[in-house]
Amino acid sequence: MENAAYVGLSRQMTLRRELDIVANNIANADTTGFKVEQLLLGAEIGERARNAFVRPGVSFVLDNGIGRDYGQGALEQTGRNLDFAIEGEGTFFKLNDGAGEAYTRDGAFTLDPEGRLTTEGGAAVQGDGGDIILDRALGEPSVAADGTISQNGNPVGRLSIVRFDALAALEKGGDGLYRNASNATAIEATDAQVRQGMLEGSNVNPILEITNLIEIQRAYESVTRMIENTNDLSRRAVERLGRA
Amino acid sequence: MRALRTAASGMAAQQLNVEVISNNIANMNTVGFKRQRAEFQDLLYQNVERMGAQSSSQGTVVPTGIQIGAGVKAGSVYRITEQGSPTQTGGRYDVAIDGRGYFQVLLPSGETAFTRAGNFALNGEGQLVTDDGYAVQPNISIPQDAVDVSISKSGQVQVITAGTTEPSIVGQLELASFFNEAGLEAIGDNLLMETAASGAANVGTPGDVGFGQLLHGYTEASNVDAVAEISALIIAQRAYEMNSKVITTADQMLSVSAQVKS
Repeated sequence: MENAAYVGLSRQMTLRRELDIVANNIANADTTGFKVEQLLLGAEIGERARNAFVRPGVSFVLDNGIGRDYGQGALEQTGRNLDFAIEGEGTFFKLNDGAGEAYTRDGAFTLDPEGRLTTEGGAAVQGDGGDIILDRALGEPSVAADGTISQNGNPVGRLSIVRFDALAALEKGGDGLYRNASNATAIEATDAQVRQGMLEGSNVNPILEITNLIEIQRAYESVTRMIENTNDLSRRAVERLGRA
Repeated sequence: MRALRTAASGMAAQQLNVEVISNNIANMNTVGFKRQRAEFQDLLYQNVERMGAQSSSQGTVVPTGIQIGAGVKAGSVYRITEQGSPTQTGGRYDVAIDGRGYFQVLLPSGETAFTRAGNFALNGEGQLVTDDGYAVQPNISIPQDAVDVSISKSGQVQVITAGTTEPSIVGQLELASFFNEAGLEAIGDNLLMETAASGAANVGTPGDVGFGQLLHGYTEASNVDAVAEISALIIAQRAYEMNSKVITTADQMLSVSAQVKS
């Protein structure tokens, strides 16, 4: 009898979660290197509350994961020589933030007082041979498409760009960082290209997200109406049976 | 509902963005001004279902997991030190830097500040000062009977005094450079201060490796690009509106739930 209400509830809960994710996508529409996310839903076949009748099983809605779109975001020219963007889907700058390796698409780097290339959060950008240290006396760094950094015409290091055999193994850590949650191996991405003086925007599609927002709201309303109707139905049944 | 707070963080971020853009536009005609840019980062994520967690007693694991983000925050607001275009002013003590470096200015507090604004003047003692009256370092005094002043590309200050034809050297302008220019702290009045993030000032002669040249009779215009700022403003406004749409939606969903009869 209460199946309809419970199925409705399972949908309401996932819709709220979807709204949270869409809200996060929209809030990060202007975040450097942000990758858009979406809730993946499945049908969970539940046991019938009453199995005396022959009728099809009840399916609840279950969110069983999120899908992250690692598609390329638009490149924006900033004119700052320590801003870098990667062209190449699913590839990342390798970082070391003290807590271990981290990965990012946000290439707004800076230099610490010792000349080490770091993120704005202070994580050291990794090159072929560990930290990248620039010498102030050598002048402006210039970076080639393959990540080679040169100062005054002489190569001084190379940005390490990596990709993963399984992207689903990555976990977002906030501050634009990704962490390797399971033991997926990071492999050198030789086809990715680095662009100096540019940053990658988010790959959030505002129109799509607003459409999602409307869809979520309407679905929520109709599920709520369904629960209301179920409620009415049982109330009326109780009233009539009581009269008899 | 988390979505309400997430969208609120998005609105706060866009508000900051508009503040940065409006400061850029307001300083479009400020000598030596460097435009700023707000950079955003995502906030922490909550692991609702951790990837790799066991999903059955048969040893199957959750392949992707569910992570829900809590919104956005301003990562940093940094200065873009692109060269501004030199503007001819004809001013006798106007100097623009073409390339890297900052003029050093002695503050009344005894500290040294740095500036790209080279619209200098003389004070009552004939000393070269900024338009706030702070002495340019190293001190340069122009004799009272100077007829003409010239400042070379390498910062040498020469004067021709009344009755002579040979120029005489009265001082040498120096520039300071920083490893991390973005780490300098702006204190207003076109002045910047050294911080732990910027590293110590490296003082040198204009025209040396790593230092720009000087242009006498010019000042450096701001590097604000009006068209880019206006389009950034439009993007910021639309992003703000979209976040407010999320708040409306979350609110309406809550209200629908609240109206369910018991």
